[in-house]
Amino acid sequence: MAKAFKRTRRGIGGYLEPGERELLRRLFEDVIELLEPEEPAHQDPLAAMVGVDGQARVPEDSALLRLLPNAVGNDDEEALEFRRLTERSLREGKIGALRAAALLVEKREAVLTGEQAQLMSRALNDVRLVLADRLGIESDADAERLHGIDDWAKADDVDTYLALVYNFVSWLQETLMQAMLEGLDDV
Amino acid sequence: MSVSTPVRESGVETRNEELTISDVPWVVIVWNDPVNLMSYVSYVFRSYFGYSESKANSLMLEVHEAGRSVVATGSREKVEKDTLAMHSYGLWATFQRADQP
Repeated sequence: MAKAFKRTRRGIGGYLEPGERELLRRLFEDVIELLEPEEPAHQDPLAAMVGVDGQARVPEDSALLRLLPNAVGNDDEEALEFRRLTERSLREGKIGALRAAALLVEKREAVLTGEQAQLMSRALNDVRLVLADRLGIESDADAERLHGIDDWAKADDVDTYLALVYNFVSWLQETLMQAMLEGLDDV
Repeated sequence: MSVSTPVRESGVETRNEELTISDVPWVVIVWNDPVNLMSYVSYVFRSYFGYSESKANSLMLEVHEAGRSVVATGSREKVEKDTLAMHSYGLWATFQRADQP
């Protein structure tokens, strides 16, 4: 069983069992795959270099839309224009954090620096956003309903399994946040 | 937003004064969602914007209870940058002119 993240003198320490590390690595990779942009056949090399994507459109997948939301309130046209200018770098930043997190869970015990802890917290959060979308969590009441599901012996169907995974990742992120918040208190 | 154990004692004080947004043209709004942990949202407000613990917590609670909160104000350039930063953290944020509903 994983241990809660704890602030130590050397950094934020964490311990994960092999099965948990494998699970997290797969989750990080699934979200990376979701975020990887499809390369259009006639990509303008200059536009690609500066991170502009003239083909970007509002994602049809609701999980992807939650990761890459519209940024401009009350104006869909402006939101699309803004997406074309910024979405590619947002995707790349998220993929970077997820890749870093996947590397960090390769070791059974890890002591995270402040920067690594922040990358890990962002990656865990993006994983939770995607899992929540797949589980249909749309309200606080939906989230509440899944809260008590914690018995792995009863993981008989996909939804129960996903809920168990969601609760595990939520627990892990919460312990990480407590350790990171303690770090802010010290400043 | 979602609460997960262990719950941290939050030193929430009385609600901050209403932000006066009439003299600044653009605002960043963070919207409630049932997934982001309260501790995480508070951490993001503290570490990214440099807000105090009590200000970060009261903004976080306003998002949670009222469904949305204006978390930053400023020029168009600033709110664009802040909104993108919120998205990079996975918070659901939009920017708009301050005088829009």
